[in-house]
Amino acid sequence: MGWIDYAYWIALLPLIGFVLELFIGKYTWKQGGIFANLTILGSTIISIGTLIEVLGGARIDVSVPWFYQGIVVGYMIDPLAIVMLCMVSFVSLMIHIYALGYMEEDPDKSLYFAETSLFTCGMLGLVLSNNLLQLFIFWELVGLCSYLLIGFWWYKPEAAAAGKKAFLTTRVGDVLFLLGIILLYYNVSHLPEPLTFQYIFSLEVLEAIPPTHLTAIALLFLGGAVGKSSQFPLHVWIPDAMEGPTTVSALIHAATMVTAGIYLVARTYPIFIASPGALVIVAVLGGFTALFAATLGLVVNDIKRVLAYSTISQLGYMLCMLGVGSIIGAFAVGYSLFHLISHAFFKALLFLCSGVVLHGLADTRDLREMGGLLSRMPITAIAMLIGALSLSGFPLTAGFFSKDRIIETAYEYGVATGDYLPWIFILLAALLTAIYTFRLWFMAFTGEPRSYLAEHAHEGSKIMTAPLIVLAAFALGFGILQSRFYEFVGANFDTHLIGELAHLGGYHLHHGGEVPLIIMILPAICAIGGIAIAAGIWYNNRVDLSRYISKSNPIYRLLWNKYYLDYIFKDLIAERLFGFVALLAEAFDRCIIDGIVNGISRAIIAIGSGLKRIQTGVVETYATAVVIGVVILILLIGGVL
Amino acid sequence: MAGPITWILLVLLVGAIITFLTRTLQQARIVALISSGIALLISILMYLGYESGAGMQFRESVMWIPSLGIGYNVGVDGLGLPMVILATLISFLCVIYAWGEEHRANQFFALVLLMDMALVGVFASLDFFLFYIFWELTLIPMFFLIGVWGGPRKDYSAIKFLIYTHVASLAMLLAIFAMYYFNGKMTGTYTFDMIYLLDAYSRGMVPISPYWINLIIGGMLFGFLVKMPAVPFHTWLPDAHVEAPTVGSILLAAVLLKMGGYGLFRVIIPLMANPDASTRFVLVIAVFGVVSILFSTFVALAQKDLKKLVAYSSIGHMGYVSLGVAGAVAFGTSDIPRILANTGAMYQMFSHGIITAVLFGSVGVIQHATGTRIIEDLGGLTKHMPKLAFIMLAGFLASLGLPGMSGFVAEFSILTGSFPQLPHFVLLAMFGIVFVAAYHLWAIQRALFGPYNEYLGDIHDIAIYELIPLAILVALIIVLGTPNPVCNHLYHGVMQPTATHILSILPEGGLL
Repeated sequence: MGWIDYAYWIALLPLIGFVLELFIGKYTWKQGGIFANLTILGSTIISIGTLIEVLGGARIDVSVPWFYQGIVVGYMIDPLAIVMLCMVSFVSLMIHIYALGYMEEDPDKSLYFAETSLFTCGMLGLVLSNNLLQLFIFWELVGLCSYLLIGFWWYKPEAAAAGKKAFLTTRVGDVLFLLGIILLYYNVSHLPEPLTFQYIFSLEVLEAIPPTHLTAIALLFLGGAVGKSSQFPLHVWIPDAMEGPTTVSALIHAATMVTAGIYLVARTYPIFIASPGALVIVAVLGGFTALFAATLGLVVNDIKRVLAYSTISQLGYMLCMLGVGSIIGAFAVGYSLFHLISHAFFKALLFLCSGVVLHGLADTRDLREMGGLLSRMPITAIAMLIGALSLSGFPLTAGFFSKDRIIETAYEYGVATGDYLPWIFILLAALLTAIYTFRLWFMAFTGEPRSYLAEHAHEGSKIMTAPLIVLAAFALGFGILQSRFYEFVGANFDTHLIGELAHLGGYHLHHGGEVPLIIMILPAICAIGGIAIAAGIWYNNRVDLSRYISKSNPIYRLLWNKYYLDYIFKDLIAERLFGFVALLAEAFDRCIIDGIVNGISRAIIAIGSGLKRIQTGVVETYATAVVIGVVILILLIGGVL
Repeated sequence: MAGPITWILLVLLVGAIITFLTRTLQQARIVALISSGIALLISILMYLGYESGAGMQFRESVMWIPSLGIGYNVGVDGLGLPMVILATLISFLCVIYAWGEEHRANQFFALVLLMDMALVGVFASLDFFLFYIFWELTLIPMFFLIGVWGGPRKDYSAIKFLIYTHVASLAMLLAIFAMYYFNGKMTGTYTFDMIYLLDAYSRGMVPISPYWINLIIGGMLFGFLVKMPAVPFHTWLPDAHVEAPTVGSILLAAVLLKMGGYGLFRVIIPLMANPDASTRFVLVIAVFGVVSILFSTFVALAQKDLKKLVAYSSIGHMGYVSLGVAGAVAFGTSDIPRILANTGAMYQMFSHGIITAVLFGSVGVIQHATGTRIIEDLGGLTKHMPKLAFIMLAGFLASLGLPGMSGFVAEFSILTGSFPQLPHFVLLAMFGIVFVAAYHLWAIQRALFGPYNEYLGDIHDIAIYELIPLAILVALIIVLGTPNPVCNHLYHGVMQPTATHILSILPEGGLL
């Protein structure tokens, strides 16, 4: 018996933490947080212990039956799962430690820690799941926690509205995902041994499903991923979700939950690669989202929203990687996951840094009111610089290694298929990423303070800066593990099986394409160039941009209004169109349906008062009527029977 | 020696009489608590003693009016037993919930017990005559609960409820008589025995014309669809709910509506197995189901009254039951999804019962505390009512089908199980899921979150006697929605064998 046999405790411990925080957290040390931190520390230890065993070749997959045949609950550990488990538990631990300081003053601290514990349980359970239905259940559980935590400060109207928006937008994706599960069930339930929802993607099973259905299933799963991982066009909820506490943004809307969509595609990669056409859509959609979100990040002044757009953009990279992976097969999962994990480190770091800034500036999120914070909060400034460098893909940081490989593969994909679109998208996005990231950093930390609050800003407490230092170390150094990681996670799926499946899906796998040197260094050039451009414009506010930043500039207006997508979705579709349909249905219900019912009763009353005149009071008339009635009745029954 | 079902009925009847005769609130509620508690206890003992897959159990059969073939004939299977438990459980919790009811308390609690008895009778009767008596008996306590303890338009609503559902019951009664007479005429045995009659008709052993068998099914179906209720026969329900006292609403939505769904499984499916029955009824039921789901959802989106919103959510959830039944009887190459759909529809009946009780219970607390149910007049209630907010949020999330709660297990089963047979209907139903979430979250956001509406003044949180029953139900919702022996046993051990048995009467592969 090793760690791996107890791996289900990775998810169970935070559940215990949730219960304890909810009911007795208030009465313990510092009014909450102790149970959440201890249980997640436990999860982290078990995860790391299990990782060591999995590196040595251990695997596990255990199920017990649930309510119907083929429907099971269980857990499985393979390289893909364990790297996610380690990342989620570790990053969650860092953020929980930080939250001890960040949420110190909050009166509902124990409730906060209860909810984040439940979230951590859900996220770890999602990764541990060995079947799609269970994954879906945890998928919704983390969605619920996201809803609750965005609206944690429920008395703020924006927070309550943002929570609802997040839930409903992802719900659109969830319905698609659910439909995908149902369609998969439809195709596999009649197989001799119905392993319906488990991740058993053997050639025989996938061959038995008609290609059109297979593609439909893959695209429906992609729909779920688009909602959860906030990809175009369902990306609209993440920026609003920034109304929640910053620790929530770091944990849920940057490092962990939003990567669940990527994890889903990676987990069901055999289905995707066996589906004709599905991966092309994945590649283009991911690439487009990467660029699209990056353009939005350029104009936002809210420090957290800039980071939110960068999250959308980076998730686009991961998705794009899985899409262009149609030319390299199983290794795509390794490449994508490496970026996912390095992103988790540097993005959690960036958010936590912005949290310190918010704390220091009485919750001001507007970059225009910052400036000159470098001298006032040096640790945070340096940590954020490291995060920004990593996000921009500055050479030798973690982000450089992980992003560089994606851009290169996209180029190889272009060579192999003639479709350079994903590559162009993500290359441009890399340039923009460097620009907006350093716009943020320069605007916040350099120059003169632009407000009273910024002048009197202060560094965060030790319990908050310590996690920053740890995460900064990972954001810098995680790249060392690159080739080891690719070997480990890239081997998650049987290469031979993926090869056969790719054949089924009509994809041609290439090996060892040569990439010209100039293409190889292009990402680095983009990163450094972008930083230089940002420095040229925003370092000490050297360039006056007010000529461009105005409502009369159509491009600025388009970006400022977020391409009008929020307007279309919320105002036009949700409120006008469906609001109108609802009013119509309500009027139909009240006037027509109920009108007919009441009309009938009125008609009967009218007939009754008409018939009242028959009541003459003469017994003979009644007797005649009775006799006639009985005769008719007898005739009727006799005739009919 | 009387069996457990008779004991339940007797305890409740005697309890109702004694409660009626009590003088004080204290006496009334204690007698009611004890008798409904004993009824619940007996039904739980029945559940524990229930043998999985062994057909009708706890049967008692006594000739009542031999000349007409009427018998006191009761028993339960995996369909009836959960419904009996639902009735006794909800009634027991209603007694606790209404602990503070002071207005004519003895009558109030007596009516709750009478209601409990009538409902148990409906779900346990195996004789059509007895079934009809209990069926109609449920109207009386509900009529008085609305008419005496109701809101401003209580008279209109009570009368509408009574007449509307009574007319529908008459259609059912005529169908029962037709079954009785035709069978008696053709085979010489005049009997109201439910099992016997349904068996005879399902095998086509009573040679009657297709016209008559379809008329019988139509009459029965009309009675059940009005009770469920299915759109467009639903307008009595929102009116009744708006005026009914909270306990009346809970009983109505949680248990009374289930009588309609129960009829679909118990009566309609066997009748549809008749070789002469029109297979179009499958589509009819499916259309009623999907229209109920979608229409009720959009109407709910436009509601301003929280209670009316919850009432429309009930219509949608019962639409899932119809959809599941249609999906179960429709033709499919594999039995596995069909049984899944049928079991899911049964599970939905139980699950919706406990979920909707939480919803109506929470709304009742809000009305009691603030004096209004208009969503726009509420706001930020969490500030003064954190416990209520917790319960209500849990109930609303369960109602919108959140996984990990009982509604998801049921609705997932229905959708997944019906999809192979009726893909287009399932797609339409799934279209509604986002909007179901929308109106639930919209109501929560406006009522519980945001800044507190100071015009409401200083309000109290939920009382302990209201909290306990609702908390028990929330716990049950979670237990029945997560993997554990209780959920597995109810689904797999109790309902599924009966669901399989019910479908086994149909021709191989189903209808259509």
